[in-house]
Amino acid sequence: MAIKEPLNDPMLDPVTGEYRVIAPGHTFKSVTEKVSRIVLTSHTPVGWWGGLAIAGGGVLMLMVALTWLFLKGVGIWGITIPVAWGFAIVNFVWWIGIGHAGTLISAILLLFKQSWRNSINRFAEAMTIFAVVCAGLFPLIHTGRPWLAYWLFPYPNTMNVWPQFRSPLLWDVFAVSTYATISVVFWYLGMVPDLGTLRDRAQSKFAQFFYGIISLGWRGSVRHWTRYETASLLLAGLSTPLVLSVHSVISFDFAVALLPGWHTTIFPPYFVAGAVYSGFAMVITLAIPIRKFYHLEDLITIRHIDNMGKVMLVTGGIVAYGYWMEVFMAYWYSASRWEYFMMWNRMFGPMGWSYWVLITCNIALPQLMWARKFRRNPTLMFIMSFIVNTGMWFERFVIVVTSLTRDYLPSSWGTYKATRWDYMTFAGTLALFTFLFFLFIRFLPMIPMSELRILLPQAKIKAKQEPLPEAGD
Amino acid sequence: MRDKQHFSAIEDQRQGPQMSQNGKDKEGVVPVRKGLTLDEVRARLNGKTGKKYWRSLEELADTPEFHEMLRSEFPQQSSEWIDSVSRRGFLKMAGASLALAGLAGCTKQPDEPIYPYIKAPEDLVLGKPMYFATACPFASGAVPVLVKSDAFRPIKIDGNPEHPYIKGGSDPITQATLLDLYDPDRSQHVLYRGETSHWGAFQAAWRARLADKKASGGEGIYILSSTITSPTLAAQWKKAQVAFPNAKLVQYDPVNRDSAYAASRAAFGDYADAQYKLDAADVVLSLDADFLSSAIFPGFHKLARDYANKRRLDGTTEMNRLYVVESWTTTTGLKAEHRLALRASDVPAFAAALAGALGGGASADFNGTDDAKKFLAAVAKDLKANAGKCVVIPGEHQTPAVHLAAIAINQALGNVGKTVVYTEAVNPLPTIQTDDLKSLVADLNAGKVDWLVVLNANPVYTAPADLKFEEAMGKAGTIVHLDSHVNETAVLAHWHINSAHYLESWSDARAYDGTVSIVQPLIEPLYGGHTAHEIIQAMLDNPDLSAYDAVRENWRPALSGKGDFEFNWRKALHDGWIVGTAFQPKNAAGKAQIPASAQPSSDALEIVFRPDYHLYDGRYANVGWLQEIPRPVTNISWDNAAMMSYGTLGRLGLAEHDVVEISANGFKVKAPVFAVPGHPDNSITLTLGQGRSRAGRVGSGFGFNAYEVRTSAAPLYLTGAELRKTGDTYLFYVTKSHYTDHRAVFVGGDGSGTHSLEGNEAIDRAIVRYATLEEFRKNPNFAHEGEGREDPEPDESLFPAYRYDKNAWGMSIDMNACVGCNACVVSCYAENNNAVVGKHQVGVGRIMQWIRIDTYFEGDLAAPRAHFQPMLCQHCENAPCEQVCPVGATVHTPEGLNTMVYNRCVGTRYCSNNCPYKVRRFNFMLFSDYETESLKLMRNPNVTVRSRGVMEKCSYCLQRINAAKIQADKQNREIRDGEIVTACQQACPTEAIVFGNINDRNSKVRKLKEQLRTYGVLADNNTRPRTTYVAEVLNINPELADGLEA
Repeated sequence: MAIKEPLNDPMLDPVTGEYRVIAPGHTFKSVTEKVSRIVLTSHTPVGWWGGLAIAGGGVLMLMVALTWLFLKGVGIWGITIPVAWGFAIVNFVWWIGIGHAGTLISAILLLFKQSWRNSINRFAEAMTIFAVVCAGLFPLIHTGRPWLAYWLFPYPNTMNVWPQFRSPLLWDVFAVSTYATISVVFWYLGMVPDLGTLRDRAQSKFAQFFYGIISLGWRGSVRHWTRYETASLLLAGLSTPLVLSVHSVISFDFAVALLPGWHTTIFPPYFVAGAVYSGFAMVITLAIPIRKFYHLEDLITIRHIDNMGKVMLVTGGIVAYGYWMEVFMAYWYSASRWEYFMMWNRMFGPMGWSYWVLITCNIALPQLMWARKFRRNPTLMFIMSFIVNTGMWFERFVIVVTSLTRDYLPSSWGTYKATRWDYMTFAGTLALFTFLFFLFIRFLPMIPMSELRILLPQAKIKAKQEPLPEAGD
Repeated sequence: MRDKQHFSAIEDQRQGPQMSQNGKDKEGVVPVRKGLTLDEVRARLNGKTGKKYWRSLEELADTPEFHEMLRSEFPQQSSEWIDSVSRRGFLKMAGASLALAGLAGCTKQPDEPIYPYIKAPEDLVLGKPMYFATACPFASGAVPVLVKSDAFRPIKIDGNPEHPYIKGGSDPITQATLLDLYDPDRSQHVLYRGETSHWGAFQAAWRARLADKKASGGEGIYILSSTITSPTLAAQWKKAQVAFPNAKLVQYDPVNRDSAYAASRAAFGDYADAQYKLDAADVVLSLDADFLSSAIFPGFHKLARDYANKRRLDGTTEMNRLYVVESWTTTTGLKAEHRLALRASDVPAFAAALAGALGGGASADFNGTDDAKKFLAAVAKDLKANAGKCVVIPGEHQTPAVHLAAIAINQALGNVGKTVVYTEAVNPLPTIQTDDLKSLVADLNAGKVDWLVVLNANPVYTAPADLKFEEAMGKAGTIVHLDSHVNETAVLAHWHINSAHYLESWSDARAYDGTVSIVQPLIEPLYGGHTAHEIIQAMLDNPDLSAYDAVRENWRPALSGKGDFEFNWRKALHDGWIVGTAFQPKNAAGKAQIPASAQPSSDALEIVFRPDYHLYDGRYANVGWLQEIPRPVTNISWDNAAMMSYGTLGRLGLAEHDVVEISANGFKVKAPVFAVPGHPDNSITLTLGQGRSRAGRVGSGFGFNAYEVRTSAAPLYLTGAELRKTGDTYLFYVTKSHYTDHRAVFVGGDGSGTHSLEGNEAIDRAIVRYATLEEFRKNPNFAHEGEGREDPEPDESLFPAYRYDKNAWGMSIDMNACVGCNACVVSCYAENNNAVVGKHQVGVGRIMQWIRIDTYFEGDLAAPRAHFQPMLCQHCENAPCEQVCPVGATVHTPEGLNTMVYNRCVGTRYCSNNCPYKVRRFNFMLFSDYETESLKLMRNPNVTVRSRGVMEKCSYCLQRINAAKIQADKQNREIRDGEIVTACQQACPTEAIVFGNINDRNSKVRKLKEQLRTYGVLADNNTRPRTTYVAEVLNINPELADGLEA
């Protein structure tokens, strides 16, 4: 990459010569103050209340939609025979995909020692958890008899029946529940030092008590730090395969089935790449308003946005390769009439428009990110993140719905039309996600102070001389 | 025989509404001449309790008014009352209900024993069904049926397998008369001017009027009945006619046999029915005769069976060849080897020209397209070559000229006596009904009609528009209406009498060959209905003779001929028919003179009226099964549409679902348009029976009423209609997708846009495989050769194959025999308690059919070939659904059934997604009716009524398999081949469906599966379906072979 900026770029560390992650001028104290003030302030911003209220309204709408759903059955949605899976499964896969970025950032980038991740990993992890919450809702509510959904778990019972282990849906249950568990543990463990900081800085009795409880007695001793680092590494090691496995398993829901358009071996890698793609887009969607609103431009810098843009270019490329392979397989390589018809139908059938939305949003427009200027422009990247997530939603729509509308027996072809309840449920989960996120940024440290401090020049220079006296402050 | 206890539920139901409505004063409403009404009796007894009550009752009992009331209410027991000694006995018997039910009419039914068919348990064994033979009366010949009765509730109707004429099999309408019986919207009371009244009051009024009219010979008494099918009723009427020579009987059904009767009268001088013997016919030509689609065509069951028997290619018969000339698209036309779509008005000219060519009449020219002329020449040649072994069948909805031409051709070719015989008419009182109705309307308008008694007809809805029947009817003095529903006519009548269903009452009827069946009731009338027998009998000297006694008396001479009457009567009830009553062939020596027919100009728009395949003339509009199950060919559910060809649709600049206003002779109707493959151009077909305003909760308000443009001058078709686009659209739903194939050549299409996308794909995907007879003889293995037709290697699955040591159930469906009539579908609904979901849910795609008839149109949609493929769960040995269910709710049994465990299903619907055949159905909401009491009586107790959120599908009638297994176990033997009959198989009039044990080398199904023509649909997916299809073979006439690719 040809860097045209003059050498006196403030982001270049004059001492180490490294390209800084956070803007110069910060010290341990300033970082700590900046981040902890957001949580500990007694002046809740009006904008936060407004956002929470809007999101809360959406959550209420979700509750209405779910109540009606439980009263009437899944027939209130647009699903039919042959399209027995619709928005619910599309949304499920989409949300799970979004969740991927958090784990990728916190685990894989940690293992690869990509320290720039430190500014964004906390809220990316939170995003993962909230996305998994939204995702996890769908498999439950999409069943015909949701009150019996626990039958998917292998638990000892008097009926002496066991789940059917050949079904990918059952694999989903394990994959998603494992993923959710590890993500929550990783996220919470990573927060413990910061919670200790908040406890120590808290003014009100309640905050002291609250953070005191959840900081689990963190004292910042060397022994604590050692254990903490070891646990982080171990959890990172555990979650790394999960990043690959969760979406692979979810892709099995489709790949294992017989349906043309689903029955494809390329699905696992292509789903994982797509998940990371949409996850990073969501991180950008969240990061840009947050840094603006809370004036965190110093901590979440243009470099973060730039890097995330690069990750999206790569994963978007993998996804594009996947799309191309599907076309290649269908038209040239497989000589299968089913594949051939499926691909024709996907492109030119009655729901062909959705395929072209997907290609436009996921392949065509993101090519703009090759331009460095584009990647470094927060406004454009914010818009791009929406485009990519729209495209990724349509990717799942094309796979799930278009494939089902026209399968083997032409007599049974059908169509799909989502109802208002489908839209309400989808919008409701978006609201739920936002609602949880608002609570998170208000009550928990959204940027890991302890990890950020490591990035400061202070830490690096002093580390060569003696242990940091301020550590744990 | 019948224990009162078992009827307690029904009794409650019957009484409930009456009691609740009896409380209010209705004095003055009910016209009482001499007698008392129950209300008045109650009023007199009101407030009296204990001894005082009984004393008052005794006092009351001696008044003449009470005697009068009693006589009308309890005709059979009234004599006992007058005798004071046996009065006590009567009181003892009826006392409880008289006193406790507040004298609110609880009629003790006279003892009229019915006899079980074949299996006659000593007493009721719960869970063990009994079978009774009876007959479903129908204007085109009764359908002798065997009714399954569980705890004395009829729960399934099927053709009587031992009947000499029907031999099992049925049709959608006969099957669905079961739901008609339990229809909660049936009329439940006698109504007088819209208020609840009672039968006694009507009887009093009717008899009083008859007494008044006795002197004038019944002047002013008019009976308007639907076609009388009962010989006993006809006999009763004939006696009544003697007593009341000036009373008039008019029969009118909108779907009638006027043309056939007019032709037979012209040719033979008398009413006659033609019985076609397709078992002896190698070449069959239908002139607009839709004889393969439903019981609406006289003799359908036998025609369909004989037709199919000649197509089994089992070496026992020569294969037949069917030519069809038709004015819209029917299953018959689509089954034909060669089909010619002609406008209805061109068919008489075609018939006349054909008759001329075959020496049946003066030679005449047919002015048609080159294709039509070529068709005519080829047919004429083929018929001539097969003289004596061919038959020409004229359509019921064609003019007498076509019937005469058919008679002339059959005579000229020497077919009479061989492939067709003429017999006495099956209906005991045949008339030209439209003429009779016209004269009735004239009399009404002239004010001659004092009492108009309408029996089981709905003329306000069905009468031709130009007669303005509703207006004319208002001029009658008193209108009495007997029907099962409070319909369009009932609300205008003074008296409405709720009729008894044929499963509730005694009668008799003839199958189309003349064989008499006694119609015996299976259940006490649910709502205390009455029959035409009782109303006509009231005109006679012994007015209280019950229908039971009337029927017995009518057949006493015939049944006493050989041996004991009681024995023969019991045998007739037991068997379901009276031996030796089939018609003998008549001497058909008359000569048919074919009137000249003018062909109208070919671009004048024509309207053709046809009965709905399911709703008939509209009388079954409230039967949910018949409304919902898609009609053959069009697959329209819940609606009707103005059907036209794709060409006409384009020429008129219309799109499907556009609403047009069709006007003719000053009458107008608005209808949505629909393109039907193979429909002749410049012609619009309107089906009757929809657009009901008072059908009931189920059937009102769907579609449009085609009677609004149907006139008495042109009840069959009319030329010169106007069509105007209204700009509105109306959504009706078709259960099968229908796209035209616009794919360019490089993506597998032909780019023409004139073919069906589904049809092209079905052929490409080898879902439908067929060959011509010639090709089949050259290569009997054609169904397994070529792309997509190879069978997969037996063991390519990741999972180990199942072993089937004992039984392995399988099914074979003969695509050559299937005529796409839907009988199997309705039968499946009845057997398996399938839910009716309603129009909106059908539109979304949630119809709950376990079996459906997939119809694929091949070739140019202007003149397509079609293939009917009954599609049901294939019970794959390698079932894709089983592998993906996370809770194991769909599992494989050791006998190879793929079963649903409803209790275990959580409703992920993954199985449906993974089913290549899309035969699984999901209860997206609570579709089953858990509320309606009468429907609970109808349900098959051996099949779960599915609740919300579970998947369901065809089970191969698991309950029947298990019943047979239990039976075999008890007798310590193997299950015999043919012992298990699935519901679809049982209903199939052509025996296209065969079920059995494929492990049994001698089973019929195994033999069929060993045929080379047998193939599995989508078997190249290695699903290993247990349901296989026998590929079609077409006996093409080489002269008309047109680019057939097989």
